[in-house]
Amino acid sequence: MRFPFKELPGTLSSDYLRPAVPVIVEGIPRAPQLCLLDTGALHNRFGAWTAEAAGIDLSDADEQRVAMGGFVTNARQAPLGMTLGGFTWEAPVWFCDPWPLAFHLLGQEGFFLWFNVRLRAAVYEIDITPET
Amino acid sequence: MDQVQARIAQQEYAFDAGEVRRLLRNVMPEPLGDHFVVVGGSRFPPKQVISLVTGLDRADFNTHQARRILSRLGFTVGRRSHASATASPRRPGPHGGREADLLRPFAGRWVAQRGLEVLVAADTPQAVLQWLESNNQQADAMFRVPSDENEATGVAPA
Repeated sequence: MRFPFKELPGTLSSDYLRPAVPVIVEGIPRAPQLCLLDTGALHNRFGAWTAEAAGIDLSDADEQRVAMGGFVTNARQAPLGMTLGGFTWEAPVWFCDPWPLAFHLLGQEGFFLWFNVRLRAAVYEIDITPET
Repeated sequence: MDQVQARIAQQEYAFDAGEVRRLLRNVMPEPLGDHFVVVGGSRFPPKQVISLVTGLDRADFNTHQARRILSRLGFTVGRRSHASATASPRRPGPHGGREADLLRPFAGRWVAQRGLEVLVAADTPQAVLQWLESNNQQADAMFRVPSDENEATGVAPA
C-alpha cells in the first residue's frame, strides 16, 4: 500500500511534510487516526483520549511518566487492535496524557515489527507491506 | 449589509448578520452538499443556517434562496468544487501545498478529513467523533491541525 506524506500547515514560510498514515483503531471505525511513522520510537504512543473513545479501561494499566520531544506526559499501556490498509494487528499502545502532538506515534514494537516500510521523502511517498 | 428583509414560504423575515453569528456559535455544521456559507470561520450548508434562524422546514425554501439571503447579509458563500481550486503556485509536497492550505484555517482544532476536504472541525476529538456518528459520516483521517512547530514536529522548544 502507498500513502502520500501528510501536508500540515506551517506557521513560518513552509509547510510540514510528515510521513503519517491513517490507522483504524478498534472501536473508532469512523475516524482513522493519523499516526506518524517514528522510526526512532520504541513504542506506539497515542493520545489518551483514544483509549476512552475506543472503550479501553486503563484503570489497572501500567503507568509511566516519560519525557518526549519537548514535553513530559503520563503514559498507560494496553493492547490495541489496529488496521492499516486492510491489515489488522494487535500491539501494545502507551496512551499519553497530556498529548500535544498533531498525530499519534507508531514505533518499533507496535508497528515496525509488523510491516516492511519504505520512506521515499524525495517524492513524499510511503510504501508499506505487511511482513510475511 | 447587516440586516436583510426577505420573503420565504410566503412569510416575511428580518435577518440580522450578528444574530446569525450568535445563533450558530455553538452549532456544528452538517455535512456539506455543493454549496456552503462561511459563518464564524466554519462552513455550513446554507439551508441549515436559514432553517435554524427561521425555524422553517428545509422543504419550504431552496438552496438558492438561502444563499442569496446569506450573501446579502455579507457572508461568504461558495460552491465546494470551486472552493477547492487554488491559483497559488505549487509548493513542495504530494499535493503541492493544497492540503496544507485547506487545513490552515483550522489550526489548533481537531478535524476529520475525507480526501483533502475537511468534513468537520471542532475543539475536541470527542466532538468530531460525535459529529461523524450523528451524521453517519466516514472519515479518511482524523487529527489535530498543528498550531505551532512543536505540535507538527515534536521537537523541544528552544
